[in-house]
Amino acid sequence: MLTYVFMGLAFGAIYALAAAGLVVTYQSAGILNFAFGSMAYFVAMFFYWENQTQGWNLALSAVLALAVVAPLLGILLYLLVFRFLRARPTLVKVIASVGVSVALPAVALMLFGNPTISQAPGLAPAPVAHWNVLGGTLTLDQVITYAFLIVVVGGGTAVMRFTDVGLKIRALVNSEALTSLSGVNPGRLSLGVWAVSGLLAGAAGVMAGPTTGVSVSAMLMLMASAFAAVVAARLSNLAGAVAVALLMGVVSDAIQYWLPANSLATADIVQCVPIAVMLVFLLYYLIRGGPLGQESRQGGALDAAIRADSGGGTRAGFPDAVGRLARWYAPERIVSVLPLLFLLCLPELFSGWWLGLVARGVALAVIFLSFSLVTGDGGMIWLCQITFAAGGGLIAAELSFNQGMNPLAAAVIGGAVMIPAGVLIGALTIRLGDLYVALVTLTFGLLVDQVIFTQQQFHPGMGGVAMNRPVFAATDQDFANFALVVFLIVGLFVVNLRRSSSGLAVAAVRWSEPAARTLGLNIVRLKLVLAGIAAFVAGLGGAMLSMYDLGNDPVTYATFNGVIWLAVLVTNGLRSLTAALLAGVLFMVLPAVFSTYTTGQAWLQVPSVLFGLGALGLAVNPGGVVSMQARLLRDLIFGRRLKTGAGQ
Amino acid sequence: MNDPQNAAPPVLEARGITVRFGGLKALDGVDLRVPPGSVTGLIGPNGAGKSTLFNVLSGLRRPDAGTVLIDGTDVTRASPQRRAARGMARTFQQPELFQGLTVRDHVTLAYRVARTPKRIWTDMVTAGGLRRAPAAETERVDEIIGGLNLTEIQHQAVLGLPLGQARLVEIARSFAREPRVLLLDEASSGLDAAETRQIATVLRRMVARRGVSLVMVEHDVEFVFGLADSVYVLDFGTLIAQGAPDQVRDDPRVRAAYLGQGSSSAPGTAGGPANEQVTS
Repeated sequence: MLTYVFMGLAFGAIYALAAAGLVVTYQSAGILNFAFGSMAYFVAMFFYWENQTQGWNLALSAVLALAVVAPLLGILLYLLVFRFLRARPTLVKVIASVGVSVALPAVALMLFGNPTISQAPGLAPAPVAHWNVLGGTLTLDQVITYAFLIVVVGGGTAVMRFTDVGLKIRALVNSEALTSLSGVNPGRLSLGVWAVSGLLAGAAGVMAGPTTGVSVSAMLMLMASAFAAVVAARLSNLAGAVAVALLMGVVSDAIQYWLPANSLATADIVQCVPIAVMLVFLLYYLIRGGPLGQESRQGGALDAAIRADSGGGTRAGFPDAVGRLARWYAPERIVSVLPLLFLLCLPELFSGWWLGLVARGVALAVIFLSFSLVTGDGGMIWLCQITFAAGGGLIAAELSFNQGMNPLAAAVIGGAVMIPAGVLIGALTIRLGDLYVALVTLTFGLLVDQVIFTQQQFHPGMGGVAMNRPVFAATDQDFANFALVVFLIVGLFVVNLRRSSSGLAVAAVRWSEPAARTLGLNIVRLKLVLAGIAAFVAGLGGAMLSMYDLGNDPVTYATFNGVIWLAVLVTNGLRSLTAALLAGVLFMVLPAVFSTYTTGQAWLQVPSVLFGLGALGLAVNPGGVVSMQARLLRDLIFGRRLKTGAGQ
Repeated sequence: MNDPQNAAPPVLEARGITVRFGGLKALDGVDLRVPPGSVTGLIGPNGAGKSTLFNVLSGLRRPDAGTVLIDGTDVTRASPQRRAARGMARTFQQPELFQGLTVRDHVTLAYRVARTPKRIWTDMVTAGGLRRAPAAETERVDEIIGGLNLTEIQHQAVLGLPLGQARLVEIARSFAREPRVLLLDEASSGLDAAETRQIATVLRRMVARRGVSLVMVEHDVEFVFGLADSVYVLDFGTLIAQGAPDQVRDDPRVRAAYLGQGSSSAPGTAGGPANEQVTS
């Protein structure tokens, strides 16, 4: 038993390091860093590469990885991405850090190779020394992990409480603007904070290596577990986060003492511990009410005043005649004509394998419309749309193949069955801030991944549950056209809803709840209806995807893939039909272009890097690529007239 | 304006409103009576509890004790939406605008919410969002926007509007609801003299033509005394005076609350805090 406790404490200490890294950046920069797992992966890969592939000395490798590369990585990411994000909306922060999360592993693979390392060395020299303590086995790796955590927590607390730097950082946490006015350089402080975050990510990644191996999925699960501790600590309490992380580690390992060894059920239960912890704390906070820690990240009145820019008034300043014309050629309208027409012609331009990819991309675009509804219009950052897609697809497959129902009817029913789930999630998260909504939906997705989609009945064959296509869409060409029709119908529904009174109301609720309520808008009903519709659209899109694939294997719908979908969509533009269609097709076609026309493993990573870089572009251009191109086009058309108008 | 104070049953009434923040009593048994077609001013020094009372009246905060009645119906436990449906509208001390919407969108939304509050189901199954707005709606929205001199910027997103214009947009949005009682929180704050005169004209017209009752929290005491039929004065959460503007102006408790005991200057007179910033 004590051996399990030692192991659990060590893993809890790794969770705690990760949680500390997340709290530090959230506190100082207001960013819950979804790239933390990828940062851990990058440094762990580098450590493995120098120590195992290059054969460098262990101590040198550790110093280079943790004292040089990890802090430099944090600093580099701050300079390239995170410094632009402080005043951005939560969605942009989440998506930009997801962009880093997508790009960084790809860069690591390009540099160091080896996509998955099942067992990596730790910081202790091999063979790893171990001792018998009170009947349990304690290894040197575990002792190093405990010591590192004690140094981090003790040293960090001392720095924050007793030093000048700590005082400045605490001031920065409260108000960046006031800190600047006090003569302190917030940028320099932030560099230090991100260097520490990089170090903690690297340490967590390297120390987790001997237990979990080094893979993107392992590091993402490490980060998700740390999220649980951070949520339990309401995003701010470092000591609380560390304590919960240690407890999670001990519980995860200690329960294995009583559970059957080498069992899939045991593995599922262990993986569910952090998710259950997050769920319990979120429910507790929901029931209890009161502040959740997100409020403090808004800074003071001065920060708010600085944040209020005039970026939203893109149509301001037009002379009246030009203004009318400009409104007609608003960005959304410009990009909704020619590029959309081109995209609609794609099935006629391709054949064979490429046509199949386009068809699959269009089906994916239907799912993307659910993001447009719930996040683009509703302002709710939902990270579990892929779960609804998987659920809708699964039910449609079951009904059409095993129950003999018409595939089209089965797809609609599959989507409809997702409505209650969407409404339930909407009801649970209705009073939460953006970040907590993201975390609750992420937790929901991970829980379904681990508990429901792993059940054996969903995997009777290699491809999961089989599904038929409608008779009229049996070929790829016909299916692509059918998918386009479904996309256009759903798209018109979205546009109609957006431009209706209800669409205006939904937008209003997003910007000011007190004003919306006193205006007479029923916020709860609006949000729940939108949540239900979005879940339906996601389920319908999932059914379309399953139709194309002739089956649904829910394991392939991992929640983190859904986060990447959202990142790709937001990069193109969250509220544009053209962007949704473009994002769906690009997501399918771009990797195929590189796998077909390039040689070498490194090139295969380029699409991930491009998707990641695209999401990073949000830090500078929150409207997305399509909107940015439209603005450029509009300026090209109206620029001269505007200048003339301004001169008059 | 005639004195409607005792002429008709009140459109809005607060009885014994008490609000506690921990151990502090922000409001202590405050009564307020707003007759139909009247202008009621609510003034008081910093921290007097004016905005807290507004939040209680509009339903954003539930009182620890006391009742709020609209047209004699107890709405103390009713949501802000229900109160809006009964004809209440309000503006905010810091303008609360929907930053992603244009000026015209604000007015259009309020107009539609007031007339067809349960549109979401019909919006989904009809193509209303893709069609042109009805002529009556366009005409009324144009009238409201024109009346507040917002035509030039009606298609501009409200993010980044100057404070004065932001207040006008809030007022326009409230007008579009055709309210029976309108709570105006610091409506003239941030406006220049011309804009303040314009607001006063528009408000007077609204009361005269549409019979709207106004309740105004104001820092510009002169503005209130020039417009109000009756004035209520709060100090440290307690109602210390109420009555006609002239009567309140001369009340020694009001003078003391504003300038301290023994002062001879009254609010709104030379030497008084006619233009000082008084917020709660």
